[in-house]
Amino acid sequence: MRRKVIFVLCSLCAVLGFFTVLSVNKVLHSEWELPETAVSGQERFRIVVISQELDTPFWKLVDEGASKQAEKEEISLELWGSYSKNQEDFLKQVEIALHSKVDGIIVQGLDTEEFQQLTRIKAASYGIPIITVANDVPVEKSLRKTYVGSDHQNAGKLLMEQLVSDMGEQGEVVLLGGTDLEYSQRLRLQGMEDSLKKYPEITSFYVDSGSTVEEAAAATRQALNEHPNVDAFIALNVRQAGTVMQEISSRTELEPYYIYSFDDGSDASQLLAEGKLDGIVEQSPEQMGEMSVALMMQWLRNEVVPLDSAGYITDIRIVEGKDGLP
Amino acid sequence: MNTIQKKIWMLAGVVIVMMFAIWLMLTFYNQKMQDQYNDILQRYLQMHEVSDASQQTVTNLNGYLTEPTERTANRLERSQDRLLDAQAAMLGLRNGENEFTLTNYSNMIESFNETVERSVAFSGQADNEAALTEFTEANRISIYISEMTLSIFNSELKTYERFYRDIIRQSEDLDTMGILLLSLTSILLLLFTYLFSLSITKPVHQLTKAANELAKGRFDQPIRVDSNDEISFLAKTFDHMRVNINKLILEIQQKAQVESELQESKLLLQQSQMRHLQSQINPHFLFNTLNTLSKKAYLDGAEETSDLLVSVAGLLRYNLKRMDHTVTVQEEAYVLKQYMEIQKARFSDRLNFHIELDESALLYQMPSLTLQPLIENAVIHGIEPKEEDGRIWFRIKDVEGNVFIEIEDNGKGMDETRKKALLEGGINPQEGHSTGIGFANVVKRLQLFYGREDVVTIESAPGKGTKIILKLPKVMEVENYV
Repeated sequence: MRRKVIFVLCSLCAVLGFFTVLSVNKVLHSEWELPETAVSGQERFRIVVISQELDTPFWKLVDEGASKQAEKEEISLELWGSYSKNQEDFLKQVEIALHSKVDGIIVQGLDTEEFQQLTRIKAASYGIPIITVANDVPVEKSLRKTYVGSDHQNAGKLLMEQLVSDMGEQGEVVLLGGTDLEYSQRLRLQGMEDSLKKYPEITSFYVDSGSTVEEAAAATRQALNEHPNVDAFIALNVRQAGTVMQEISSRTELEPYYIYSFDDGSDASQLLAEGKLDGIVEQSPEQMGEMSVALMMQWLRNEVVPLDSAGYITDIRIVEGKDGLP
Repeated sequence: MNTIQKKIWMLAGVVIVMMFAIWLMLTFYNQKMQDQYNDILQRYLQMHEVSDASQQTVTNLNGYLTEPTERTANRLERSQDRLLDAQAAMLGLRNGENEFTLTNYSNMIESFNETVERSVAFSGQADNEAALTEFTEANRISIYISEMTLSIFNSELKTYERFYRDIIRQSEDLDTMGILLLSLTSILLLLFTYLFSLSITKPVHQLTKAANELAKGRFDQPIRVDSNDEISFLAKTFDHMRVNINKLILEIQQKAQVESELQESKLLLQQSQMRHLQSQINPHFLFNTLNTLSKKAYLDGAEETSDLLVSVAGLLRYNLKRMDHTVTVQEEAYVLKQYMEIQKARFSDRLNFHIELDESALLYQMPSLTLQPLIENAVIHGIEPKEEDGRIWFRIKDVEGNVFIEIEDNGKGMDETRKKALLEGGINPQEGHSTGIGFANVVKRLQLFYGREDVVTIESAPGKGTKIILKLPKVMEVENYV
């Protein structure tokens, strides 16, 4: 009896002791470390990339390129911006960046009065250099240091050449564009129209596709009604390309039409892969990011003064759809 | 010694130390957690302070612009100072993750301050429109600051999320540990208490058993107690008592035995006294009868017979009386003569008794009835076997401090072995001895009386007679040697 009691108590002690030791160990050795409070010694350059379309893969690539370059240059870089072309939010971000006295702003150009106001007056008063990327603003209206991105006019030409080589030198082409054309879209349109002048057999119609999905669909229907013999659609805004194709396929076969667009949206590569798009003009977002940061740093370090205000052009190329042509 | 008191103290000590250790640990941990919580709260409060101060500054700026007085100016300055303090404090909150944002934040505060300053300056120049524009700008920046505060809160939460979760997990761990510790302590205490009570009750139990044994009368089993406290002391004392009792019992038993033996010997003594008295009665009767016979013989004219009877009676009386007394050599010699007269009457011509006495030696003391058995021996061995011419010489001489007594016969003598055996008492007295006292008895008595060994010498050879020589030291006064 006595031995049994002692044995039971001892074994209980051993078991509890074991668990207690485990628990005490856990408590004693758990990490109480706060995140590093140490700050890198010297002040690094702080550069902000601000975009209107943070949600697109295009801008993700821009960010990637910029981040890579920033790492190389050993500077701090952040990607700010708005989603889905929310201009108000976008402008606010730019303003915050200015008030925050960052060392440089790389921004997606926006051809509006407010944007120009900001970049011209505020940026100048704070002495912050601004580089536009992907989308430019007219040089004379802003005090941007330079532009890094595609030559959109050239892109328009390139696409039209492709269309002509696919379709032949005659036919009807519908150009779809939003109500408020961006500076880059206007350049594209201009490029295409310049190119079309060489081909008198090709007739082109410009259709205002509005700014919403419904308006784009309506515009497509109207274009199909008014020009039953249309051969090709070119969407200046890649966001509307999807809507256009949907509308066409709801009415007739999609195949006989040549459909082209410019890549700066999310849908492009997917549509291309599905073979619905016959071709897009692809840009080099990573290159843009890298180059813009590199140029900004050159400016900040006084290596290249002044920057070429005409801009630094990145590569563009035509990518054809998979399923071949009609 | 390990006393019970000490054990109790130890138990209490262990409990106190355990509780103290646990308390210390928990307190230490609570303190640590509290510090952490304080740090965290401090961070948030500091961030909030910035947006609060900026809003206050905006309010005060508005107040100043509508009513530019000393008082409102002071107020504005105070709130600006507060904002700058908050900004300075913010720098302490920087870490790897929020460095960018916090620098922006700090710069934004700067911009805000500059805008406020500009607004005040324009107001001073009475350029109210410009002042209002700057005020609007300041207000907007203040809103941005508030928004940024929120976003910093957000990123703060993200950065510290793991840390906060750690804290929560930690406090859960701590709870578990607390429960485990509590149960461990309880079990340990139970164990200690059990062992402790056992260490007290077990010896008591053993002692009780031992006491029961004693009560049943088994005093021979030693009391053993496995303990080293007071109970062990008690047990030792108890054992000591047991040993003493055991000894006492043995002593009592021995005494009882001695008593019974004494009783027995008393009984024997009474018997022998009885016999002694009886044996005294018989010789007296015999003695009286001999006297009567002597008178009768005398009256009848048998004078010689009468003398003989008187001798016999005297000899008998001497025998009865003087066994345990010393006598003078003279008395002894007298008795001897009487005895020889009787023997002469018996042997008539066959016995020639020659006596030589040195008068100077007659006064010394000697044991009684020592010479008579010797002369009796001489008669029996020297005279009886002979047809005629048996001679016995009896001499007492005083030579150089000793009394020499010689008894010589011309009997058949004896060889060396017999002589030796005679001296050592190896020969039983033959039948016919009158007193029944043997040669050996005499030799022994003489040796005891004088305290020396060389009292008796025998000179003898077969066919040449025997000569017994007693060499007695001169002793004058001896009361009673027995």
